Amino acid sequence: MLGVAPSRLDASARCRTGCACPLAWAAMATSPQLERFRELVLPELDLLYRVALRLTRAPAPAEDLVHDTLERALRAFDGFDGRHPRAWLLTILRNTHRNDLRRHRPDLLDQQDAERLPSGGGHEVEDATATQALASQFDPALRRAIRGLSARHRAVLVLVDIDGLTYREAAEVLAVPVGTVMSRLHRARRKVRSRLEAAGHPEVDG
Amino acid sequence: MRWSRRPATPLPAEPSCAQVAEVLQAYLDGELGPQDAGLVAAHLEHCERCQIEAATYERVIAAIRRQRPPAPPEVTDRLTRLLDELAPPDEGSSRP
Repeated sequence: MLGVAPSRLDASARCRTGCACPLAWAAMATSPQLERFRELVLPELDLLYRVALRLTRAPAPAEDLVHDTLERALRAFDGFDGRHPRAWLLTILRNTHRNDLRRHRPDLLDQQDAERLPSGGGHEVEDATATQALASQFDPALRRAIRGLSARHRAVLVLVDIDGLTYREAAEVLAVPVGTVMSRLHRARRKVRSRLEAAGHPEVDG
Repeated sequence: MRWSRRPATPLPAEPSCAQVAEVLQAYLDGELGPQDAGLVAAHLEHCERCQIEAATYERVIAAIRRQRPPAPPEVTDRLTRLLDELAPPDEGSSRP
C-alpha cells in the first residue's frame, strides 16, 4: 500500500488553483509535456523502487519515496533538459531521501549512504531471490560472498551489478566520485571471485 | 560529477597485461571510452592470460546479475497507477 492518502492521488481532485503542487503543474502542462514525462519515467519505475528499497530498507517507505520523487520530478520537469533521465531521477530520489532523513532521522545523516545501503542481502532481497537461488548451488555461495563484503563494497556492487546502474548513476546515489565507485566495485568483485574460488566453485575458473 | 581520479588514464598504444587488468572490469561494464575499449579489445585478441581473466570476470558478473530480484508486480502496478495520476496517458495510447 502506498503510504499516502488515496485522495492525494485522485485525478478528480487535481489542483487547478495555481499553487506550486505537482498536480497544479500537471493541470497546466500540455499533453505532450505530460506524455514526455511519462515516457521518460515509466521505464525507470522498477529501478527507482529497487534503489528506494535499498535506501529505506522497507517496502512501504520505499513506495512513499518513489511517490515523492515522482512528484518532485514532475514539478522540476519544466527545467529538465531531457538528457540522462535515469540519472536525473536518481538524483531527485537521493535528495528526497536525504531531506526525509533531515526531517525525521537527522541522526542518520552523518552516516555515509553506503553504510545505510544494506545489502543485496536484506530480507526483501533474499525472499525475492529464493526461487532463483534454489535453481543453482552456485547462488547460495555467491550470496554468502556478497554478504561478506564490507558495507561500502557491497553497496556499490549491489547498485551496479544487481540494480543495473552505471558507474555515474551509482555515484549519484551514493554521493561519491565516479572513481570511488569504480575502485570499490572492482575490489568487491575481486573479493567475491576469490571467495567463490576458495569455496571450490569451478564455474569461476571456467 | 566529481572524480577522485580518472577511471582509466589513457592507455598506451600497446598496453601491458597489468595496464589492461587495471581497466578490465570497466571495459566489461562498457564504461571505457571507445579508444581505450578498442585497445583492450585488441590486447585480448592475442593475450590468452587476459582472455581467461576477462572470461572469469564475465562469469562472476553474470552470476551476480542473476541475483537481481524483480520488483513485485503489485508494486509496479501501484507505481504505474501513480504515474497515471500525475501524467495521464494520452487517450488511445495503451499502457504497457
